[in-house]
Parts: sequence; structure tokens; C-alpha cells
Amino acid sequence: MEPHFLSIIIKNLGKSYNVAILKDINLEVPQNQILGIIGKSGAGKSTLLRCLNGLEQPTTGTITIDNQLFTGVSDKERRRIQHKIGNVFQSVNLLSRLTALENVMFPLKLFKGNSKDIHSQALKLLHLVGLNGKENAYPSQLSGGQAQRVAIARALMGDVSLLLCDEFTSALDFETSLEILELLRDLNKRLGVTIILITHDMAIVREICDEVCVLEAGQIVEKNDITSILLHPQHTVTKSLIRHLITKDLPHHLQEKLNKTPTDKCFALLRLFFSSKAAGDPIIASIVKTYDVPINILLGSLDHIRETAFGSLIVSIPFELEKITNIMKDLDQRSVSAEILGYFPQSGGHSWNS
Amino acid sequence: MEQLVLHSFLETLFMVTASMFFGTAIGIFLAFLLVLTKPSGLWPKPWISQSLGVFLNAFRSIPFIILIILMIPFTRFWVGTSIGTAAATLPLTFAASLLIARIIEDALNTTSKGLIEVGKALGASNLQIIFKIQLREALPLIVSGLTTVSINIIGFSAMAGTVGGGGLGDLAIRYGYQRYDFTLLVLIVIILIIIVQCVQMTGNFLEAKLKK
Ligand SMILES: Nc1ncnc2c1ncn2[C@@H]1O[C@H](COP(=O)(O)OP(=O)(O)OP(=O)(O)O)[C@@H](O)[C@H]1O
Ligand SMILES: [Mg+2]
Repeated sequence: MEPHFLSIIIKNLGKSYNVAILKDINLEVPQNQILGIIGKSGAGKSTLLRCLNGLEQPTTGTITIDNQLFTGVSDKERRRIQHKIGNVFQSVNLLSRLTALENVMFPLKLFKGNSKDIHSQALKLLHLVGLNGKENAYPSQLSGGQAQRVAIARALMGDVSLLLCDEFTSALDFETSLEILELLRDLNKRLGVTIILITHDMAIVREICDEVCVLEAGQIVEKNDITSILLHPQHTVTKSLIRHLITKDLPHHLQEKLNKTPTDKCFALLRLFFSSKAAGDPIIASIVKTYDVPINILLGSLDHIRETAFGSLIVSIPFELEKITNIMKDLDQRSVSAEILGYFPQSGGHSWNS
Repeated sequence: MEQLVLHSFLETLFMVTASMFFGTAIGIFLAFLLVLTKPSGLWPKPWISQSLGVFLNAFRSIPFIILIILMIPFTRFWVGTSIGTAAATLPLTFAASLLIARIIEDALNTTSKGLIEVGKALGASNLQIIFKIQLREALPLIVSGLTTVSINIIGFSAMAGTVGGGGLGDLAIRYGYQRYDFTLLVLIVIILIIIVQCVQMTGNFLEAKLKK
């Protein structure tokens, strides 16, 4: 991989219909990267991707793909660049009257007519996506996952250097999604394809993305590598999006009992994040010892992002302002981030836990 | 009598085949125009699609028998006479093109927006999208639509007797009905049923072959 070779450069991109949908987007995607775009529904993720594949024209700004200007150019020039972009859409959209193999060959047949090379590349790609023996099956004879694989193979036909995926796993079960993601990562490594992927599913982001870009109300509010995004989310949207992934939340009926402010005799509920460094140390034990507090573990989970292990715990500690402040400082020094979720009245505070 | 029936059969065959052939050609052209120029089409020109739509609907709501009469001046101009099989073929062709235009338009419109976007994102031109995606996907529907129109046109061709167009329908009215030749009437009805059956079966067969 050539260092610093940028697959995509987006400068001051804006898109409006009647209202502004995308505002001043600036983004650079290095070649070979897998970039995830996340954000709430209506944030403008699909619109951004449709600007990248040429289905929409940006209102302002420029897009450069593989060092060639993609916006404001002639139809002919745009089409030439489009040949290097593969698209996997949410709905599979195969041609129903063509076989799996013919569907994969379709993009090149559209432009170059018949040739042996097209046939052999299509065959190779079909095998790469694990569809040996299904070459002559029609889309109606394929399962959803198989059809999506055909669509991926089709997207990779020709010399595609950029693959754009918009929520293509949402119709698939998680197992199948994982298999397909595995495949994408493999293609990314083997063929050096840059991949941009939109998804609602943080578990998918965690599995595959190198970097994540968070879109909110048409703007990029955060962009970072996957580990930082998951362990140290900055923007509230990012936090709320990843909370479901990393932490198990308190059951709803307990959350309702939580007070925002401490009462006379109460427990403080803390959420602790561990990253791989800290996960090995006996932190809880040493806190218990140092501060002489009974720490009660209510919920916990251990997880992995790529090779980094991390965990989250929800614990309760009898509330004493000074002690809690010191404990939080101490935790911070051990690179465990702690956050107070709320306060429980002491009566019955522990009863549900035994 | 066999001579008479055979002759009429051939006349019907001629009228139906010729009007279906030219009707399909004109119908395809009109359908493409409608699909391309609709507001969400690949070449949006709403004033074309809308005025064409109004024109098609207006003429489709005219009963065929009236259409024949309305068209007499045109028929005279084009064919030289308003009487005879060739003259009857003109209004039949006109009616067929109207029906076929709508049927092919509907069939082309069933192509999902997503599939069209697949083509656009590949950098395909409008013509490539219409021919290599929409037409390809719509083929089974178009065939079944053409089958239905053929059967309609067989029915219409019977009315062509009004302008002395000949054909089986004409024979049935002139000999069977007006001269009380009941046997002939039944014979013609049976022949018509067989023709319609054959057309339907061929259509179904082709459609099944095209559909995957
Ligand atoms: N063709 C259009 N005309 C007008 N408004 C549009 C159009 N397409 C999208 N929008 C608006 O742009 C906004 C962003 O849409 P977009 O599809 O990009 O969201 P998204 O982030 O992909 O959401 P989701 O996660 O639900 O797919 C929405 O408010 C939508 O209503
Ligand atoms: Mg979307």
C-alpha cells in the first residue's frame, strides 16, 4: 500500500434539496481503508454516499476520487470514474432474468460486449464470495444472503478501487452479515479496495471498520479510529450510538428509581470503562482495600474491538462525597473512565441485587 | 362454404397480424416516450408525457366501432378507400397501438427504482438503462400484455365488417345472422374460440419461458 495515497477527498461538500441536507463536509479517505459512517436516521448518510457514487450532484464543494475530480465534470468523465466505483445497496437489485454469473458479468457486458476475460473474472469473483455451483441459478432461486453475495461480486467487477455499501446487511441475519463482512475485509486486504460502509449496527462497525465518521444533521461531528471512537467517544451522538454496544444498560425498572442527586443515605451508581491495559489489573480489589468501601458489582460485560479487550462494569458504592471524588480520581489515573449514573436510596437499594 | 370460411379466416389473420405488428412498433415507441419523459423519468419532459397520456386516454375511451367511423377520412386518405380489409387494418392498428403503449408503459414502470439506480451508478446511459435493464426485466409482462391485446384485436376485427372489412366476424354477421345459417355461425364461433385459445397458450408458453 502506498502511504498517504488518498482514495477520496471531499472538500466543503454541501447538498440541499429545499433545505440543506449536507453542510460543509470535509473528509479524506486513504486508499485501503475501511471507513464506517454512522449516525441517526435522517442524518444524511445515504445522501453523502449518493454524492460519492454520482447518483446525486452536490450543491457545493468538490469530490476527488483517485486523484480525479468527480464533481462538476462532463457526463462522460463522470461515467469513466463511476466504472471504478462498486456499489452494494440495501436492496439487492439483481436482474431477475439473468443467472448469478450473468448478473456479475452485467457491468462489464454493458460497456464492452462479450469477452472471455469478463467471464473468467466473474467466475473468479463468484467463487471468491463463496457461491461455487450457483453460477447458473436465477435470483429467485437464491437466498437473501446468496443474492447479496452476487451483488457484492457484481460490485467488484472491472477494476473497482472503491466499494460503497449502504446498509446492505440490514436484511440479513447477524451470522450471514458476519460472513459477508469477513469477505469484505478479505477483499480489502487482498485487492486493496477502499470500502465505505453505512450501517446502523454498531456490532458491524466494530467488526470491520478501521475508522469511523459520525454524521449528525448533515455534518461530520466526529471522526476517529475505531478504538478511540468506541472507548473515548466525544460527541453525545457517538456516545448514545455506542452505548448499546459496549454497555448493558440497567433494566428499565431500576433506571426509573435512580435519583439525579444524592439523598441522605444512598448508594452511588458508577459505570466504569476498562481498556485492555487496565483490564488485567485487580482494580476493584485495590479500591476496596484503599478506601475501605464495599463495592457491589451489578452488571458487567467484557468485549473486544479488533485486538483490544475492554470491559464495562456498573457498580454501586455507599455515597460519601469525598470518598467518591477520590475514587474517581484514582480510577482516572489507572485509565479507567468512570461516570456516575445516579443515586439509589439505601433502603432496598441492595435488596434487588442479592 | 369451406372456401368462404377459409377466405375469411385468412382475412382475419391478415388484419390481426398486420395491426399487431404495426401496433406493437408504434406502441413501443409511445411507451418509451411516456416512460422517458415522465417527471421522474430519465429524460424528464412532463409536458410530453402528460399530453401524450391525455391523448391516449381520450382515444382509448372511444368505442372501437365509433373509432372506425371517425377515422374514415384518414383511412380514405392513407389507404385510398375506406372499405375492405386493408382499410379496416388502419383503425385496428391505431387501437392496438393505444392499448400496447399503455401495457408496455406499465411493464417498463415495474422496474424498481433501485435497479435503475444500479445502472446509473454503473455509468450507464439512458438508452442502456431502458434497453438493457428495463426492457429486459419487463419482457415477460410485455408478452402477456401483447397476448391480451391480440385477443382484444381479434374481437375488434369482427367489428371491421362494418366497413366491409371482411374476416370471420363479418362472415358470421352476414351469413350466420342475417341469412339464418346457424351451422355456419356455430362453426365460426368455434374457429374463433380455437384461435383465441391458441394465442393465449402461445402467450402463456412464451411468458413462462421468459420468466425465471
Ligand atoms: N430526494 C430527496 N428530496 C428531498 N429530501 C431528501 C431527499 N433525499 C433525502 N432527503 C432528506 O435528506 C435527509 C437525509 O436523508 P438520508 O437518506 O441521507 O438519511 P440517512 O442518514 O441515510 O438516514 P437512514 O439512516 O434512515 O437511512 C432526510 O431528512 C431526508 O428526508
Ligand atoms: Mg440511509
